[in-house]
Amino acid sequence: MIVKMSKVEIVGPKGLLEEVLSFIRETGILQIEPDTIGFIAKEDEDYIKSFLPDMNAVKERAFLEDMRRKIDDLLNLLPEVTMRESYLEPSKILYDLTKTLDLHLALYSELSLRRGAIREELEELRGYERFLRGIESLIPEATEIPDVELIGITIRDLEAIAQLRIELSDVTRDRFELVTTSLDDGTVVGLISVTEKDVEGVRRILSDERFPEMRFPETFKAYPFPEKIRYIREKTSGLSNELQTIEAELERFACGWRPIYTKVKEWINERFSVLSATAYVFETRMCFIIYGWMPKEKVPELKEKLDSEFSGRVILEEKGMVEEDLERVPIMLRNPPYFKPFELFTRILPLPRYTSYDSTPFIGIFFPIFFGMILGDAGYGLFLAIISVILLRVVRLGRTVRDAVTILLISSGYTIFFGLLYGEFFGELGHRLFGLKPICIERRTAVIPMLYFTISVGIIHILIGLILGFVYALKRKTKSEAIVKFLNIVMILFVLAFVASIFEILPKFFTKPVIIAMLIIIPFLFFLGGILAPLEFLKNIGNIISYVRIMAIGLMSVLLAFTANRLGGLTGDIMLGIIVAGLLHILNIVVGVFSPTIHSLRLHYVEFFGKFIEHGGRRYEPLEKKD
Amino acid sequence: MEKVLIAFAAALAIGLSAIATAWAQSRIGAAGAGTLAEKPELSGTIIILLAIPETMVILGFVISTMILLLLE
Repeated sequence: MIVKMSKVEIVGPKGLLEEVLSFIRETGILQIEPDTIGFIAKEDEDYIKSFLPDMNAVKERAFLEDMRRKIDDLLNLLPEVTMRESYLEPSKILYDLTKTLDLHLALYSELSLRRGAIREELEELRGYERFLRGIESLIPEATEIPDVELIGITIRDLEAIAQLRIELSDVTRDRFELVTTSLDDGTVVGLISVTEKDVEGVRRILSDERFPEMRFPETFKAYPFPEKIRYIREKTSGLSNELQTIEAELERFACGWRPIYTKVKEWINERFSVLSATAYVFETRMCFIIYGWMPKEKVPELKEKLDSEFSGRVILEEKGMVEEDLERVPIMLRNPPYFKPFELFTRILPLPRYTSYDSTPFIGIFFPIFFGMILGDAGYGLFLAIISVILLRVVRLGRTVRDAVTILLISSGYTIFFGLLYGEFFGELGHRLFGLKPICIERRTAVIPMLYFTISVGIIHILIGLILGFVYALKRKTKSEAIVKFLNIVMILFVLAFVASIFEILPKFFTKPVIIAMLIIIPFLFFLGGILAPLEFLKNIGNIISYVRIMAIGLMSVLLAFTANRLGGLTGDIMLGIIVAGLLHILNIVVGVFSPTIHSLRLHYVEFFGKFIEHGGRRYEPLEKKD
Repeated sequence: MEKVLIAFAAALAIGLSAIATAWAQSRIGAAGAGTLAEKPELSGTIIILLAIPETMVILGFVISTMILLLLE
């Protein structure tokens, strides 16, 4: 249901503007209108101007922006901790906090930088240690050669080692040794022992052949090769201790100050939203004027609250709505609990206009039915219902996902119902296991009856749409549109009568009068609805046939379930059969959730709503506190 | 021979309409992806637009079913 809205004007002395905006924000029911069309009378346009903030407001804005940026920088440096609630009043400590904020930011930026540098160094040292530990066993062998220089390398391509050996042999005239080993993580490393005078040549080859050399920092040079590991371990331990101290300090600070700075930041954000709202306010020489929209039923309540809060100095007046306002009234939806989750579809698709119908109840009624008709398998329905209940009970879901799961739960109920009508439980498994038989129709074999059934569903749905369109046209007093809608309804009924008489459901003699009646109506359609009106009628017939998708997609689903069971049976092994059939059934369920959803929605938005709902409404976005 | 022709006619009815749908969906899909990059809030509308050409293959399916079941 689209909630009735009122166009309102709030007027008060300029000095109270910010207080009034804060108050309105607290109540969270007024959508401020930045546009003046329909609000300001022509003769008043010279006196009412957009509100201009004074120098103090500009200064405050700059100050708050700077403070918010600094708080953000500081909070980014601090670790996430379990926060206590801060009971300090931000507005009272704001100016004292500016001084501490600069100090804290300088101090903890430095600490944070040091923490980053230590982490980087530790990472490097761990790499060296890993490498040295890997080649530890090779070192005694290598050090047997006097005046030896050791070069560590990482080997990416094992096949390139042979080529490397040949080239090393050429450069060093066979005075080298290359030993390789694997590290814990699977990396292959090597150690080349060469005499000092051959080092340059060897390095050139390593560079040409793309063997990365493990180069140690200058500080390592003082230590002999085996001593390096001990040095690294000592250095790592020292750095780890320093890192722990810094992290403990940051955590201690975060526990104490994060709640305070977070609260101040929230306060600044709230203040900003009030200051931003002033951009949509108008002023006269003495007063401010706020134009906006709000639910009609809340007008007396807000009027009373403003009156008592500001001792009658701020007045709310409800203004009369004119024709052109109807285009701009924001849309607020309110539906009973059953339909509430279906607002999800209304939210993600274009909103209806204020004068039109809310699409939610229609989707709430027909969507689960179509979904059930398409999927129509008691086993799948049961499976989806269990999943939905688990998700709703066990997992904490956001609003959108929760609504989607609730819709799935409702739809799975209809899936079970239609599954029983079709006699399907994981395809024909129900029949094999416990003799489940179709109550109405077996979809897999009765293709033509299902085709007639879905076309009948289409006829009913489209006729409902046209009748609602007729009523809507009458409400809007567009007589010719109402008559065209009515004639379309009559034409569809005549087509039905014609088909029924051909198939001898109605007596044969009906055929001619029905054709003559249709031929009489067509010129009227031309006359009242223009050249495209008869095409509109053909479009309606196309729309009705489009409902055959309910049968077509359903048939695909039931055949896939049937195939899953057959393939499972063909394996000849119970466990393997269950796995094969189970996987295919899961695939079918996944497809069976998306496909019916998209097609049911399409049937609504293209075929059904096109007959009576005008889209293009504006979202209702009141000035309110954001959680 | 008659059966072969019936089967061929049914295959043509579903096959050609499926190709037409696929072509239309490929164009809508590409345009839709471009739209979503700029306006993600239109995702619902794009999904519906993408499902619109499927009417063609549904009609093809109806015709081929009628050919197979009513002409045999």
